[in-house]
Amino acid sequence: MAGKAGKPSRPRKADKDEEEQPLQAVLVADSFNRRFFPITKDQPRALLPLANVSMIDYTLEFLTSTGVQETFVFCCWMASKIKEHLQKSKWCRPTSPNVVHVITSDLYRSLGDVLRDVDAKTLVRSDFLLVYGDVVSNIDISQALQEHKQRRSMDKNVSVMTMIFKESPPGHKTRCEDDDIIIAMDGKSKRILHYQRAQALKRLHFPMNIFHSGSDEFEIRFDLLDCHISICSPQVAELFTDNFDYQTKNDFVRGLLVNEEILGNQIHMHVTKDGYGARVSNLLMYDTVSSDTIRRWVYPITPEANFADLEGQSCTHSRHNVYRETGVSLGHGSQMEENVLIGRNTMIGANCTISNTVIGANCVIGDNVTLDRAYIWNRVHIADDVKVKQSVICDNVEVKHGVVLNEQCVLAYNVVVGPDITLPEGTVLSMHHPDEEDDEDDDEFLSDDNDVGYRKDKTKLKVFNPAEVGSEGKGYRWKTSSLEDTEEDELAECIWGEIPPEVSSNICCFDVVLLGVEQSLYVSSQLLKKWAPVFKNYVKRPQDQLDCLASMEEVFLERETHWAALVKVLMSMYQLEILEEEGIMHWFNQGSTTDKSQQLRRNQGLLKFIQWLQEAEESSEEDE
Amino acid sequence: MPGADKETDLSERIESFLSELKRCGSGAGSLRGSAETARETTALLRRITAQARWSNAGDLMEIIRKEGRRMTAAQPSVTTVGNMVRRVLKIIREEYARSRGSTEEADQQESLHKLLTSGGSSEDNFRQHFAHLKANVIEAINELLTELEGTTDNISMQALEHIHSNEVIMTIGRSRTVEAFLKDAARKRKFHVMVAECAPFCQGHEMATSLSKEDIETTVIPDAAIFAVMSRVNKVIIGTQTVLANGGLRAVNGTHTLALAAKHHSTPLIVCAPMFKLSPQVSDTPVQSHLHDLVKLTSILSKVNAHCPVFDYVPPELITLFISNIGGNAPSYIYRLMSELYHPEDHEL
Repeated sequence: MAGKAGKPSRPRKADKDEEEQPLQAVLVADSFNRRFFPITKDQPRALLPLANVSMIDYTLEFLTSTGVQETFVFCCWMASKIKEHLQKSKWCRPTSPNVVHVITSDLYRSLGDVLRDVDAKTLVRSDFLLVYGDVVSNIDISQALQEHKQRRSMDKNVSVMTMIFKESPPGHKTRCEDDDIIIAMDGKSKRILHYQRAQALKRLHFPMNIFHSGSDEFEIRFDLLDCHISICSPQVAELFTDNFDYQTKNDFVRGLLVNEEILGNQIHMHVTKDGYGARVSNLLMYDTVSSDTIRRWVYPITPEANFADLEGQSCTHSRHNVYRETGVSLGHGSQMEENVLIGRNTMIGANCTISNTVIGANCVIGDNVTLDRAYIWNRVHIADDVKVKQSVICDNVEVKHGVVLNEQCVLAYNVVVGPDITLPEGTVLSMHHPDEEDDEDDDEFLSDDNDVGYRKDKTKLKVFNPAEVGSEGKGYRWKTSSLEDTEEDELAECIWGEIPPEVSSNICCFDVVLLGVEQSLYVSSQLLKKWAPVFKNYVKRPQDQLDCLASMEEVFLERETHWAALVKVLMSMYQLEILEEEGIMHWFNQGSTTDKSQQLRRNQGLLKFIQWLQEAEESSEEDE
Repeated sequence: MPGADKETDLSERIESFLSELKRCGSGAGSLRGSAETARETTALLRRITAQARWSNAGDLMEIIRKEGRRMTAAQPSVTTVGNMVRRVLKIIREEYARSRGSTEEADQQESLHKLLTSGGSSEDNFRQHFAHLKANVIEAINELLTELEGTTDNISMQALEHIHSNEVIMTIGRSRTVEAFLKDAARKRKFHVMVAECAPFCQGHEMATSLSKEDIETTVIPDAAIFAVMSRVNKVIIGTQTVLANGGLRAVNGTHTLALAAKHHSTPLIVCAPMFKLSPQVSDTPVQSHLHDLVKLTSILSKVNAHCPVFDYVPPELITLFISNIGGNAPSYIYRLMSELYHPEDHEL
């Protein structure tokens, strides 16, 4: 033992409790979803730079400063890159207080798989921290950890997990909209009684049994931000092994809460008021967490602290949160207004206006460039007269002169965008063609945020389209769904995180159809045909069809003059095979509650349609 | 191998010291006083001298300079670390010169005559090997450590000369040096102390409780009341985080306000600072009146930029007297003291 410097000494078996055990952590460096495609086709999410430091460095720094002494990093996608990065970083030095083990496997498909592996290899000996590789935080876990241990020792092993939340008012921009949760908790013991994703629902249902849990103080809270940091007991890994259905943390939490009477396991929570914790789950969160880091909300993890101990990465901090690394040259008349981080050896031309931006190393930026909320990674060339607004520009991109990037554009690695072109909002350009075959197999990734796979337009071209990337440009455009004229957030499936809610929620189906039908009334049946694939995706089960029809009813009840169109809509939906006869008949035969809907059902056109439908049904039955 | 063991042990200690430095700002205010930091730095430098491999003074200076750069880069706001490194470098130069037999005076004077007559630089001077250099340097560092331990007492001993009976003294925040200073004077004299609380960490409250335990009449006032109360104050005695080379201060926020109010009322401002706080840096932004060291606030506010500077720059014109462990000095004399402590070539590590 004498020669081993830097390793924490293993407690001998003779030593008493778990208090002697070094704190361990499980870091899942793969998010099991494709939110950051096409950027993550080249680089795993954990290595993407946030304020010029890889995201996994923030997570490891958080773990190390909170006293973790042994970390297991699980990687799946592009594991070799992550491993290489970690081995060069300060955490794999022999003097590091936190010993990092990297475990890779191609077979992980979800958080559940990782935890089952943890259990199979019996890596954890006592309570451990569970985090994702893209968590940025400065929360001090020691108090939560103490409470957790106390709870477990008092009530023998009933409490299985403690989740860490941060108090944050609704609508705050650090709250990720997809991750919004509503929690019912016991005020005294801080036990979670009910956990639900909010997803912009207007009505929520709470099962009554949660209020019978024997306490007299209940809180229903919507002001919590999930930090995605959990203190788990070794039982968590076992529970995942026992239940192959548990794939994501959401599944696990809900499963435990539902089966509480049977298994008796409880989940508790800890709410921190100071401290910052957030997960970069989509590009909108990337923007928010980046700007929070620059504005020093994550102190002491600040850009000039160079916590990752990288060579040559020291920077100075000046007024208005302007950080400049070494070798930066700024042209005449250029203004760095506020919240700017400029990487080393970057050259910025004359008369530029830069604000709320992060620029990586070795970039060359021309004259008269306006950068606002831009995230520019390394070795990027931006020519003169370019305007960039709220966009991400990855490594080695070249932006020629006169280009205007509107909000929420993403230029992935090695793209070239030609001169004098204005890219509309939400453009995603990548050197990978959208139809490219993945080397990975097609198993679905299972994660809490995995939603309906976004559709890509199947263009058969393999050449660059000058209309999209400019005359000298290179890159393919990754289109979002074919709904170009929608403004509703629910329907736009772009990687900025404004995604439709899960299919399983009936209410959302209702809304989708509602909005869809409204729009079609005003445009034409052409639009309906265009949207057919979307409708088909949502309307799969008979229950969905009923919902669809109910929503249409609602729409039409508001617009008496359009009842004639109802028939047309029903007809086209029937022909497009979105709705089936049984569904329509069922809906029609359903007792109607209001006068108006009764009137609707007596509409001539509708009656004729129903009659035709019945005949068609009979004839098809006769055929069979 | 014992040699390899020592080296890894040494680098481990350096690493843990660095990481402690990096995190030292993460609590409310600083977790350790500057005297402790200075002592730990010096102890670490002594260990480096003892355990690292070097054969002549030049090598040792290189090693210490390199480690010093890393330490100052880890936490730039803690200047005592850099100051101690420079002191040790000066010690090495002195010991080397003594071993060579040349007098110290000759090296110090940068007269015009010397510049014209002397030849090349003295770079190669440090390459000679002396057998006892290591022991001498370590002994000198030990002397430095004893000096560090006695600074607070040296300063407190001068208290009776400056504080008279029935005086009203004002101070701000919490400084261990000023606390010891006032407690020493309180043994023989009766006086009244007003403490400005120094928001947002309100360390003034702790100062007031500690002083009142020694039966000193203390009043706590909010920072906004400083000017209003100043007319009744006889003297202002403050501590500081750093003394800059031009005689200015980098002190806790609110000190500039206090200094301006004192100037307006012609109240003398006395700064109690030990010599290890003297730094060869000059404030690089004399016009700007604050040096930022932002600290986390307690709630996330979106769309609002919250600034919470921790330090203030106080220009030398506002200061009357510096009391240090070597006695009282005017701010205009600070540059001279500095040349005694540090060699000009070490100003830039």
